[in-house]
Amino acid sequence: MSKDYAYDAIIIGAGPAGIACAYTLAKNGKSTLVIERGNTPGSKNVTGGRLYTYALDMVDEGLAAEAALERKVTHEQIIILDGNRSISIDYHDPSFNSECKSPQSYTILRAVFDEWFANKAVELGATVACGIKVDGLIEKNGQVVGVVAGEDNIYAGIVIAADGVNSLIAQKAGLISDIKPHAVGVGVKEVILLPSVTIESRFNLKKDEGASCLMLGCTEGIHGGGFLYTNRESISLGCVFVVDELAGHGRQVHDIFQELKMHPTIYPLIEGGETVEYGAHLVSEAGYREFPKKPYKDGLLVIGDSAGFVISTGYSLRGIDLAMVSGIAAARAIIAEKDPVRVGPVYMNELEKNLLMPTMKAVDGYYDILEIPRIYSSYPKLAAGLFEKLFTVDGKVPRSMKKEIRGLIKQNGLSAWQLIKDGFRGVKSI
Amino acid sequence: MAKIIACYKWVTDEADIRINSEGSIDFSKAKGKISDYDKNAIEAAMQAAQSIGASAVALTFGTAKAKLSLKDALTRGPAESFWVCSESAEKADGAATAKVLAEAVKKIGDYRLIICAEGASDTYARQVGPRIAARLDLPCITSVRGFEIQGDVITATRKLDNRTEVVKAGLPALISVLPEVNEAPIPGLKAVLDAGKKRSTEFKLQDIGLTDADVAPRTEVRDFKAYIMNRKNIIISADTNADKVKELVANLRKDGVI
Amino acid sequence: MPGIFVYADTVEACASLISAAYGSARGVCALTFDEKRADELGGYGADKVFLLKGDNPMQESYAKAIAALLAKEGPEVFLVGSSTTGREIAAKVAMYLDCGLVGDISSLAFEGGKTITTRYIYGGAAIQTEVLDGYAVVTVPKGKFEARKYEGKTSDVITLKVESDNRVTLKETIPLEKDSKDLGAANIVVCIGMGFDKKEDMKIAEDLGRVLGATIGCTRGIVEERHWLPAGSYIGISGTTVKPSMYISLGVSGQIQHVVGIRDSKIIVAVNSNANAPIFMAADYGIVGDMYEIIPLLTEAIRDVKV
Repeated sequence: MSKDYAYDAIIIGAGPAGIACAYTLAKNGKSTLVIERGNTPGSKNVTGGRLYTYALDMVDEGLAAEAALERKVTHEQIIILDGNRSISIDYHDPSFNSECKSPQSYTILRAVFDEWFANKAVELGATVACGIKVDGLIEKNGQVVGVVAGEDNIYAGIVIAADGVNSLIAQKAGLISDIKPHAVGVGVKEVILLPSVTIESRFNLKKDEGASCLMLGCTEGIHGGGFLYTNRESISLGCVFVVDELAGHGRQVHDIFQELKMHPTIYPLIEGGETVEYGAHLVSEAGYREFPKKPYKDGLLVIGDSAGFVISTGYSLRGIDLAMVSGIAAARAIIAEKDPVRVGPVYMNELEKNLLMPTMKAVDGYYDILEIPRIYSSYPKLAAGLFEKLFTVDGKVPRSMKKEIRGLIKQNGLSAWQLIKDGFRGVKSI
Repeated sequence: MAKIIACYKWVTDEADIRINSEGSIDFSKAKGKISDYDKNAIEAAMQAAQSIGASAVALTFGTAKAKLSLKDALTRGPAESFWVCSESAEKADGAATAKVLAEAVKKIGDYRLIICAEGASDTYARQVGPRIAARLDLPCITSVRGFEIQGDVITATRKLDNRTEVVKAGLPALISVLPEVNEAPIPGLKAVLDAGKKRSTEFKLQDIGLTDADVAPRTEVRDFKAYIMNRKNIIISADTNADKVKELVANLRKDGVI
Repeated sequence: MPGIFVYADTVEACASLISAAYGSARGVCALTFDEKRADELGGYGADKVFLLKGDNPMQESYAKAIAALLAKEGPEVFLVGSSTTGREIAAKVAMYLDCGLVGDISSLAFEGGKTITTRYIYGGAAIQTEVLDGYAVVTVPKGKFEARKYEGKTSDVITLKVESDNRVTLKETIPLEKDSKDLGAANIVVCIGMGFDKKEDMKIAEDLGRVLGATIGCTRGIVEERHWLPAGSYIGISGTTVKPSMYISLGVSGQIQHVVGIRDSKIIVAVNSNANAPIFMAADYGIVGDMYEIIPLLTEAIRDVKV
């Protein structure tokens, strides 16, 4: 009974990358099919949820103004945890809340945002088919010409893999190898419901203002960290661990995460909330150094997380905006170059032009810092110990700070030489 | 072509409803879905249509929100869908729903079989099927766990409380099916794409000869609140599994159940 | 003498409905097809008994005739025992009389001419109170009200020949496999959920069931997706409702449609590896952990207690 279908482009995955691409293609009159595995766009996602809105405006001018967003981030926080202790840094800039002020970022709930974004693409004529798993690619003479889903074959001029981290499609096409355990993390996240007034008072926020918070020292020494985003009426709280270090650790992610929730600094922020979503998922940790040499082949482009477009600097996490920018680059390449065999290099060129590749390269050094294992355990301990000495007044003659520091360094199994080395490495990397 | 009509209901997904602490229910985050059991009814219509060379169609009665259901229903295979759109559906009881569906069935016409699920996943009232049959004066077989059609005769297996019955009836007829009647498949990609091209017809109440007064509910809902479970909710948190089990058994002995 | 009419497909169920209606201080009239035992219904409190007679073995086929009788007698409420047969008759009668029907109620009260019912909706997550202003049909689950005998009370039995709708014909009747009948009446139930990876793994649950003297039940997925156990074994709103003194769930997530089928259990125990599984909210005791380790430990511990 079914007819044969053919599209200018098939996009696999209705996340921000796939939809940004579909939106741009559909707006330029290309027949576009997006195939999403979840029952709705965003339903299979556990990303914490923060969006830098420049990317939406790059998709289409003014799109950010009507997007399904949660709170505008005016508080940027870093919390260093050690045992029951913590050090919080809160950078508050109320001007982030003023109109037209850049940079702007919002917290988002992916299930809500992705569905809104997908509907925008549908309004422009794209087709979004949900609840469908793409099983493989159809190739003819080494060129990708369509996709296989269950018993159905659908053909297209070009196929775009936007199926996220550890992309099955990019693997099938031979563009990336199987999971590299040091380049992927496992993320767990809960969405915890709280009244908006409670969130605003706990985080010291005005109405519509939000906080974004990264946490260090909550991963039991494993390379990784925690994140917390305030949404309108919920908090997204999660933790990411690099897979290869987790394997040898012996503790379950879930248990470490539960301890984070019960931490005396974190618990008061979420107290009384009801957990309405819990998810665990792979996340890309890669950065430029893990970027595939060639995120394309004849008839196929790889975008978003599938290609490793994420940046994690330790003070900020970016992925959603980069995913969109890569989707736009792919769409522009497809619009500019009719021949699916030649579209790949045009895509690479677009990535340079819209500054995505230069950005990836510029921040790559941060990965050197983040690979220092001491960041995740000894340094948080050292910092917390230092503050403890600083703030303890017991009526005795204070010891010299220099001595205290030396003692702490020793106590935490560190040496001054190591500190200098790590510091030098840090400065060089950024 | 003769039709097999599958009736379905667009319901609130009970997985999305939130119970507030004072016992009220928050529907604000809840999405809609085709009642789970109705997916089996639609699949039953597909199989029946195939076996006798008829055309399966889907029929629903709902508010404007039910528009979202049409594509989902069509994705499951029916050739076209019919939707009686009225805000009165919000408060409709079994009496009103059955009247509307029966009149819509008459309007659609040329049907061999009407298939309903035994009950909807929100109310599970189990009355609409036989009510439609009564209004249309059709033979009715409820609680169907399997059926086949030969010529003009349907043979169905019914699940009763202490027995199974095999019964026969001439077509046209109405059956209400249990979820075990089939396994509703997950629609494939082409089915999803096909659905976008199929026809959906919208009826208003007056199109099927009914007025708002006709569909006024016969029962008045006085109160509606969350069911609060009154349980001990003790999570046993000893260090080892062996200790947890030990503590559990001690508790169960204290309660006198072992 | 209108009042409340009752019908159920067994004399026991009918007697239970009479006792529910008895408190209304209105006359109670029972309908039955049971020729041999029709006169017993007077002793349960019926003021009047109609013995319906016809040739069709399917009581569903008399719905129209029953509606006609009710239309003539004009009762305020028609209580029907919630069996498969009863539900069908109730729904059709309600349509013929164009009146409301509240099915499978969990409570029933009569207040000054009105009937007040409650019933579960949303798979049991919520409870809805409805008011029926006269002329309505209500179906009542089996065992909801206890039948009472009244010494020396009798009533007239009026025999009525009724016409049936013979368009649906009964070809064969097969008694149900014993399993599912036992489950509803079991004193201890061990329930198998989707947390089990393989069919063979159910053995550890069966071992536990054996030391407890329990009946094994399961969730809908085990029957319909995995086909590990027969259809009569699943517990929940569309399956069997259990009311044991103890119910132990193993690897059951606790979807509301399942939970509603276990609410009448005295003690509910849950074992699940996911601390966020909703079953724990429905449980008296919960253990979070690997059930493959916990179940054999529990079996051992109970065996020790029983010795």
